[in-house]
Amino acid sequence: MTDFDAIVVGSGMTGGWAAKELTELGLRTLVLEAGRPIVPEQDYTEHKPPWEVPFRGLGDRRAVAARQSVQSHSASFDELSHVFWTDDADNPYSTPADRPFYWFRARQVGGKSIIWGRQVYRWSDLDFEANVRDGIAVDWPIRYADIAPWYDRVERFIGVSGQAEGLPHLPDGQFQPPMALNCVEQHVRQRIADTFGRARVLTIGRVANLTEAHNGRAPCHYCGPCQRGCITRSYFSSINATLPAAQATGRLTLRPFSIVTGLIASGNRVTGVHVIDAQTRAQRVYSARVIFLCASALESARILLNSGIGNSSGQVGRNVMDHIKWGGASGVFDGWTDRRTIGERPNGIYVPRFRNVTSRYPDFIRGYGFQGGAGRAGWHAALHAPGIGPALKARLTELGPWSMSFAGFGEMLPREENRATLHPTLVDAWGIPSLHIECRWSDNELAIHRDMNVTAAELLDAAGAKHIEPSTSGPSTPGGTNHEMGTARMGRDPKTSVLNGWNQSWDVPNLFVTDGAAMTSSGWQNPSLTYMALTARACHYAVEQLKRREL
Amino acid sequence: MERRELIRWLVATAGVQSIKALAPEDLLALGRDVHRHLPARRVNPTIAIAAERILPGATDANVGAFIDKMLTDWHTPEERERLLTGLRELDSHGNFLDKSEVDQIAILTALDESNADWFARLKYLTIYGYCTSEVGMRELKLWPLPWRYDGCAPV
Repeated sequence: MTDFDAIVVGSGMTGGWAAKELTELGLRTLVLEAGRPIVPEQDYTEHKPPWEVPFRGLGDRRAVAARQSVQSHSASFDELSHVFWTDDADNPYSTPADRPFYWFRARQVGGKSIIWGRQVYRWSDLDFEANVRDGIAVDWPIRYADIAPWYDRVERFIGVSGQAEGLPHLPDGQFQPPMALNCVEQHVRQRIADTFGRARVLTIGRVANLTEAHNGRAPCHYCGPCQRGCITRSYFSSINATLPAAQATGRLTLRPFSIVTGLIASGNRVTGVHVIDAQTRAQRVYSARVIFLCASALESARILLNSGIGNSSGQVGRNVMDHIKWGGASGVFDGWTDRRTIGERPNGIYVPRFRNVTSRYPDFIRGYGFQGGAGRAGWHAALHAPGIGPALKARLTELGPWSMSFAGFGEMLPREENRATLHPTLVDAWGIPSLHIECRWSDNELAIHRDMNVTAAELLDAAGAKHIEPSTSGPSTPGGTNHEMGTARMGRDPKTSVLNGWNQSWDVPNLFVTDGAAMTSSGWQNPSLTYMALTARACHYAVEQLKRREL
Repeated sequence: MERRELIRWLVATAGVQSIKALAPEDLLALGRDVHRHLPARRVNPTIAIAAERILPGATDANVGAFIDKMLTDWHTPEERERLLTGLRELDSHGNFLDKSEVDQIAILTALDESNADWFARLKYLTIYGYCTSEVGMRELKLWPLPWRYDGCAPV
């Protein structure tokens, strides 16, 4: 007799899904979360006015320098949302001195699902067949047809607003009504269509923010700072949706402050997990029939490496991937001076990949998409304006011209030498060996980054923008897009992959890894939707196997 | 001790022997009086006046306190010293606070045109503090939030 039927390590994007699916399928499930509990009424701060924030949103610079110098690079880190990231001093890791890697980490119930970017895009067979077509790494063991029903299931539950476009390489999904494009974005969409036909398309972002009430969750009210939480549960997070669903079954046990130090193996099975209580440091063991690692790509790899389990292929920790960003362009539009936007839309535009879709682009393989948007500058433009007195004050209410920017997110190839290993001496505040991470862009990603500037300028030029300025930023730091993945990849062969086509460990059949670690390639799309769909799919498979007594 | 002494004074002038003898509404009124008489955290008066001249309304929005907080708890000692050194220069031709409003504006306008680093920082903090204050956000119609999105609204 085991303590539980299932143990899920992690309570975020994928852990919440595992908790929901496993409990709904009848399993008594323990969710172990390394961080603290979250009470939305106390911990969400999205409606706090700026004047009640000590540094008015400029951040507690000294505290950040002392404790969160890595985490602060995340796009959704701010003076209030910083509480949803870990303390870098307690959670150290290392990289080569000349090769930084940003490891963004969230330890609380809800994990990074509280602070994610909420952009959700399906993959297609352009992506699932990419490795085998290009002769890169290993082939995905699944195709679009395998995951499509699970995309449906996830989208229906989390609530996704978006516009169906009928693009084969960006399949449409189960959408609520789309958020609106603003006037300039509508113009740019039309001009791009006039110039490029269906080869380049601008659409509103597909985003896990509701535009209609859904399962007791209210539609988005456009307050802006989603990264600080959402008391109306208008965007999907595990706290806002999957964990309550799991709780409702009566079969969920959620244990915060529970740091998993390792898995316990017996023969070719895992029988349980070792846990350190983050507060008391008391140690204990929980047993279960099946274990799901949903701790985030690098944490799950760390648990596997610290356990010495599931790594007969030698692939655990390898193939670290992210998305390369900071290429793109911006431009200014004449006109629409009598128009403005009202409210904070938590979403922007999307231009899906157009390189290497129907024809071969010579400079690189794979591709990238653009996110971005148009708007008019408000008082921020006055911060460096000349003049003082009433003239300066008058400028505060003047709106600048409309401008629009495109920011690329490019695919990264899996490469074995991009690798996380156990650090020989470095440990975290609980004495658990930490990671040494070596990761760098290859020439292919750098070529993608360069191309973003060129094509973003082309889009703006087609739309009639003036003062078009390509990005002057170099490539982002690996890890900086917060899309780390690939460290326990799925595959078709136990010799070259960690997981089979069901996210199941080749070596240890009752062990599943369903977070970003499972990814065999990175795609060009924001990855969370695919992680969630893979998790739901793996849960149903695992329960079937349990029922057939094959696990 | 200041607060306690003030309460004692108020109690004495209000002619009551003890706060316990006050009706709830009197107690509330007394509380408001106490707060009105308590000195605000002391803000560098030169900063406060310069902020008001840079952006009329800065005083009502308590921008001086924000700048003080930034200088104390946010900027590095070197950054703080640069700004304070600049402020002392304001007094190099006589006490800035003693000058007429017209003269103060002329001095600050000259600094603005000279692109002095420290002045640009003071101006930045003034604008930022004002536009994130309750007074400023209400005046600029940035607060309360609209609770909707319109991507093509009339200006």
